[in-house]
Amino acid sequence: MQGNSLRRSSVAGLPAGSGSALPALLLVGLFFIVPVVALLLRSVTDPEPGLQNYAALFGSGTYVRVFLNTFLVASVVTAVTILVAFPVAWMLAIMPPALGSIVFGIIILSMWTNLLTRTYAWMVLLQRTGVINRTLMGLGIIHEPLPLINNLAGVTIGMVYIMLPFMILPLVGTLRAIDPMTLRAAALCGASPFEAFRRILLPLSLPGIAAGGLMVFVMSLGYFVTPALLGGTSNMMLAEMIAQTVQSLLNWGLGSAAAFVLLVVTMALYAIQLRLVGAKRAGGGI
Amino acid sequence: MKLILTGLLAGLLTATAAKADEMAFTSWGGTTQEAQTKSWAAPFEASSGIKVLQDGPTDYGKLKAMVDAGNVTWDVVDVEMDFAIKAAKDGLLEPIDYAVVPKADLDPRFSNEHAVGSFYYSFVLAWNKGTVTGEPTGWADMFDTKKFPGKRTFYKWSAPGVIEIALLADGVPADKLYPLDLDRAFKKLDTIKSDIVWWGGGAESQQLIASGEAAFGQLWNGRVFALQQDGTDVGVAWNQNLTAADVLVVPKGAKNKDSAMKFLAAATSPTGQAKFAEASGYAPINTKAKAEMPADAVKALPDAHVDGQINLDMNYWAKHRDEIATRWYAWQTK
Repeated sequence: MQGNSLRRSSVAGLPAGSGSALPALLLVGLFFIVPVVALLLRSVTDPEPGLQNYAALFGSGTYVRVFLNTFLVASVVTAVTILVAFPVAWMLAIMPPALGSIVFGIIILSMWTNLLTRTYAWMVLLQRTGVINRTLMGLGIIHEPLPLINNLAGVTIGMVYIMLPFMILPLVGTLRAIDPMTLRAAALCGASPFEAFRRILLPLSLPGIAAGGLMVFVMSLGYFVTPALLGGTSNMMLAEMIAQTVQSLLNWGLGSAAAFVLLVVTMALYAIQLRLVGAKRAGGGI
Repeated sequence: MKLILTGLLAGLLTATAAKADEMAFTSWGGTTQEAQTKSWAAPFEASSGIKVLQDGPTDYGKLKAMVDAGNVTWDVVDVEMDFAIKAAKDGLLEPIDYAVVPKADLDPRFSNEHAVGSFYYSFVLAWNKGTVTGEPTGWADMFDTKKFPGKRTFYKWSAPGVIEIALLADGVPADKLYPLDLDRAFKKLDTIKSDIVWWGGGAESQQLIASGEAAFGQLWNGRVFALQQDGTDVGVAWNQNLTAADVLVVPKGAKNKDSAMKFLAAATSPTGQAKFAEASGYAPINTKAKAEMPADAVKALPDAHVDGQINLDMNYWAKHRDEIATRWYAWQTK
């Protein structure tokens, strides 16, 4: 039900040529196109006209490293989120509705809790002197604290946790639409559970995975708070670097250039995704 | 719908009407801003009838955006001295009206044409007594992982402090720090890179030390002071404490400039400075303030540790901030 209602709210779903699209278009113009153009202009005019900001951006080993790292983190987070979300979504899809809505409520509730609070909670859990390490050491399972924070592991754990609802929601919609009889038919034909998963469930759920995956990936690319607090400096993400460039160094031209490049790359990825999965399916859950 | 709109409009109108005797003060939040509100804003409101709205945290990008857009909603902002020097050069600040703000007793190190001292602090070496055996005595010990094992925490951003600490630890004499030898500093920092945990804000630095996540750290003395007040067992080495000031500035085009200048006069008065210093553990920039403070509180100030005290050179940083930042982030992200 959630998946469907989300599906209908996509802009692409509006009747073509209807006057009701006008306010939406105005909003897109005002809140998306105008700022993006302003961003682009600033990146080629501040502090003086020219492409020197882009030259500085691509010539800087730091920015290139941070770019690559941003994509690495987003990819890892997306992959892990899919792996964790799938069983949860499947469980929700086949649960009795009454119980399902309780579990759903818990997931939504975590989404509504303040992001900073949740991230700080992870700090407390993951530290060398944190709950997880202390428990494991107390049980004698490890003798040295595991490095769970200020590195890729910390960023991944924190971000996957925050991204999970965005993956689960579109997936549940897709999974609910799959007729359980197809799985029973597969079993009757002698397929093992794994075989049924691989050849029936997985292909049929691909649109949901693609929609959720794209959303998580794109959101991860621009993420700020969680990587800043749970990551180390060697896996700094682009948003943090841009914030530093803009807020502290007041180098707005360079910051705009970096933001613009990120936007272009994200849009390009979205376009590729549309090609691969088809417009309807990729846009479906968003 | 109509009702809501009318309500909103009425709200806006009263907000504009009330503007005349209001002003906005922006600082860094946390225990520091609480102390500023209590020691400066509250008495100022009572004596002048001007309401002081609190905002924050300080954000240099936002300040610049306000000035550029010609829509300045902050009247007094607490900033770091090196930023103030650069911002004045870029035309982002109003000059301080020293006809309204009495200058005679202000420490000349911390005031200039566009900025008047807010307070001054020291970076000190702090450690968690539960995790550390022995007593570190100076920055060299922060780099000696054999003698003092454990993680150490440093300020994450490119700002005065860490480079100087690395150079001091490497044996550079205090009076030969500037111009900073960046090659030497980064080489020294390389030796403990994997042992560094970075803190990005004061609360984070306190949390890291209090939990023992980091055994040692470079902390603002006021943050250590607050930890000790909370009963955390923290050691402090004042040897080679590094001082720098926060200053109060008025953004160019501030709407309540006159009120802002009166507020600055109150904040930098001996009483305002004494009260703030007592509440925060940061030092007053008014030389008459200490006379109004209890002896205990004076002992907690960086002023009580002038032996071996080193002034961070804010003019040098204002001039070289960008170039240092480039090297800093390149090194950090490697």
